[in-house]
Amino acid sequence: MTTDPRPLGGPRTGGNGPGGGRGPAPGLRVRGTGPGEVTVSSLTADGPALLLFVSEECPTSAMALRHLGPLCRAWAEAGLTSTAVFEDPLEVAIRVARRRGWTGRVVSEDAPYETSRDYGLVSVPTAVLLDRAGLLAGRVTGWDQPALAALIGAAAEMLGTPLAVPPATDPPRKPGCSSKAALDPELVAAMSGPAGGDDLEEMFERGWTDGLPVIPPTAERVEAMLGAADGTVSLGLVPPAMGEATLERVAACAVLAGCRPAYFPVVYAAVRAALDPAFNLHGQAVTTQPAGQLIVVNGPVREAIGLNSGMGALGPGFRPNLTIGRALRLVVTLTGGAMPGALDRSTLGQMGKVGFCIAEDEEASPWEPLHVERGFAPGQSVVTVIGSDAPLSISDHRSRTPEDLGYVLAWAAASTWSTNWWPLAEPSVFVICPEHAEMFRGAGWTKQRLREFMFEAVHKPAGDLRRGETTPFVHAADPAAQVPKWASPEAIVLLVAGGEAGRYSAVLGPCTGMGSQIVSREVEPLWPPTT
Amino acid sequence: MAADYVSPIDERVRAAEPLAPRPVSVSGRRVVLLDIRKNRGAEFLDRVETLLRAAGATTARAAKEIFSKPAALGLIDEIAGRGDLVVEALAD
Repeated sequence: MTTDPRPLGGPRTGGNGPGGGRGPAPGLRVRGTGPGEVTVSSLTADGPALLLFVSEECPTSAMALRHLGPLCRAWAEAGLTSTAVFEDPLEVAIRVARRRGWTGRVVSEDAPYETSRDYGLVSVPTAVLLDRAGLLAGRVTGWDQPALAALIGAAAEMLGTPLAVPPATDPPRKPGCSSKAALDPELVAAMSGPAGGDDLEEMFERGWTDGLPVIPPTAERVEAMLGAADGTVSLGLVPPAMGEATLERVAACAVLAGCRPAYFPVVYAAVRAALDPAFNLHGQAVTTQPAGQLIVVNGPVREAIGLNSGMGALGPGFRPNLTIGRALRLVVTLTGGAMPGALDRSTLGQMGKVGFCIAEDEEASPWEPLHVERGFAPGQSVVTVIGSDAPLSISDHRSRTPEDLGYVLAWAAASTWSTNWWPLAEPSVFVICPEHAEMFRGAGWTKQRLREFMFEAVHKPAGDLRRGETTPFVHAADPAAQVPKWASPEAIVLLVAGGEAGRYSAVLGPCTGMGSQIVSREVEPLWPPTT
Repeated sequence: MAADYVSPIDERVRAAEPLAPRPVSVSGRRVVLLDIRKNRGAEFLDRVETLLRAAGATTARAAKEIFSKPAALGLIDEIAGRGDLVVEALAD
């Protein structure tokens, strides 16, 4: 710790600590939250005052706010007022101070930052101690825990009472960021003015995108997304880079994706499901395969938030479907660090990796819906995640029997993953359109009957499968042995969705070799939805 | 003015782990050969194992549960206890 060698004003280049030139503190040209003007004499009316100059973008400022903020209340009770002076708009200052746990006063100064300039700031954070006479009594530049402890110690001496000092930190010292007062005014104007204020372009510059424009995750939007939920709650680490999925970050991804707050419980459930180790998101996120994370939504929440399960159920046009799927993918790519071309090594990728959320048309289905098959009650809202390939459309306008239709559907999947890779252990998802579903309903076929029929329909002799990529099972089998496309009927997942007219179903091939299981989570009401 | 955005990214910076010192020779060292269970990785390790033994190393084999998941911490601890060096077969 060294004392301030500089008398007053002008750039400071010396060390940190109490003492130094004792002259009157420059006046304050700041805006506060209260009705009265904030002046040096008002701050020092009852004792010494601590000014902490900070800015929103500066990580060291955040560090100072976080470590000193919780102490302000006790300091105030002992007679030391503390004020954060932000080189940012007041509304930004208030939010940042609250987020960082600053419990002292908050004021803001506008460009050209005359107060910072008058105090000779070079960088932020800078802490300045004023005695009760309004004289400068010391300053600390950057984060310097020992010097700050000494500065608070000097305030304690003035008050004649002990004051809590900031706890030791690792590292104990951290350089600050340039004060806006020390920047060229034209640069500050360029940073602050409308010319540099294209927030949509800024999202691209920050890399907070999947390549499409996003909604900037402002504090207001994220807070609206969270509702009453605690943003600090952790959902776990997101592979592959193991970023922590706090609820706040998940909410930021939901905002970026374009979700409305009412969708957030579905996003939350999807993220929880995807982070279940049984889903093996790690493998899916980094694989050279095209695997995406298909989200299937069942239950009353579909109608509550307007998810489309009808015409165009797998396609564009419906905000909840598109943005919920995208939100999960943004959690994987941004929080989890699986950016395509970086940690995401997918050779070709597929559009389902932008996001893929579908809802089952339970009302048009002759069968129990997916979530009921998986053990949930019909009235529960449930999200199910499945590692899957892109959909392959299956046209059939000619089948007149359930056997013919079941055969066509099943054989359409014969080449999924790879032509001769039989059997598949992982699930293939068939989305059955309502007209196709009606044929099975009319014939009284249960879902299980169709599943078993499809399983039995697709077999080939092992000898016919020994070309190119195939399985060790095929290599080991007798050439005449019949090999099924799926390891069991349970690897065939059947859903109903789509428009009333048209006989186009679809199959989504699996993500293989991952040991990835289907995972479901109930949609929990962690919000009071209003929109 | 810069807006008050909430970052979707975990901004914490993790310090890089320093690499372990590289051996001058494998002679007399214990080498664990880790099979991640990618197709034909074991064949590659068989060949490497032969060469290592010829160079005077002692060898042991270990395997991950599945190639697409990170190695379990227990397996990593076990490998650290059994060997001085590790050779990992990545892919076919």
